[in-house]
Amino acid sequence: MASALRSAILRHIRVPATQVVSANGSRLTAVRLMSSHDDHITKDEVINRVLDVVKCFPKVDPSKVTPEVHFEKDLGLDSLDTVEIVMALEEEFKLEIPDKEAVRIESCEQAIEYVYNHPMSS
Amino acid sequence: MGASSGPRRLSGMQKQVLALYRGFLRAARSKPAEERKQIESVVCSEFRKNSKQVDRKNFIYIEYLLRRGKKQLDQLKSPDTVGLSSLSVDSSRTRGSSS
Repeated sequence: MASALRSAILRHIRVPATQVVSANGSRLTAVRLMSSHDDHITKDEVINRVLDVVKCFPKVDPSKVTPEVHFEKDLGLDSLDTVEIVMALEEEFKLEIPDKEAVRIESCEQAIEYVYNHPMSS
Repeated sequence: MGASSGPRRLSGMQKQVLALYRGFLRAARSKPAEERKQIESVVCSEFRKNSKQVDRKNFIYIEYLLRRGKKQLDQLKSPDTVGLSSLSVDSSRTRGSSS
């Protein structure tokens, strides 16, 4: 009786099958492409994305940005700008950089090293 | 620890200011996009203005600003606070520079 009722009900109920799409689907596919050998990002990718973040910073002249530049000495930024850049890097690579380590990132080179050596970078 | 490989030297107070700045930017991330933008622009201009206007030897005043900033940050961190409009960011009493 109960099972007959249940099957009768189930026959009439339609639950829409929703496709689960992550908010950043593009990022996921990008990672999948890179992950043929390893799921960690490559050094080249780190370099390119770090440089892109720095180039996008409003006060920075993009033509001056190379993997070696120092934020304050070469790009004329100040310590507040540096905080903003490091925060932008956190978002780009989905990291949380503790204050102690954030203050040590003063150049593209240091940023690249930090991100590349961080196991959670993505 | 104590690496002397030539990194910039920041005073304890500078570190506190930068940590506070970072704290504000972190807190802003947890807000809706619209508010986040607004918070970031207010916070950014406040810090920048004070970095230019406040005498860097005026420790008492900087300490006061730090205390005030920490309180505002605590308020901002509350999930009920959506924007800075509810906080008293009083740009009127910035060292009476009424030029």
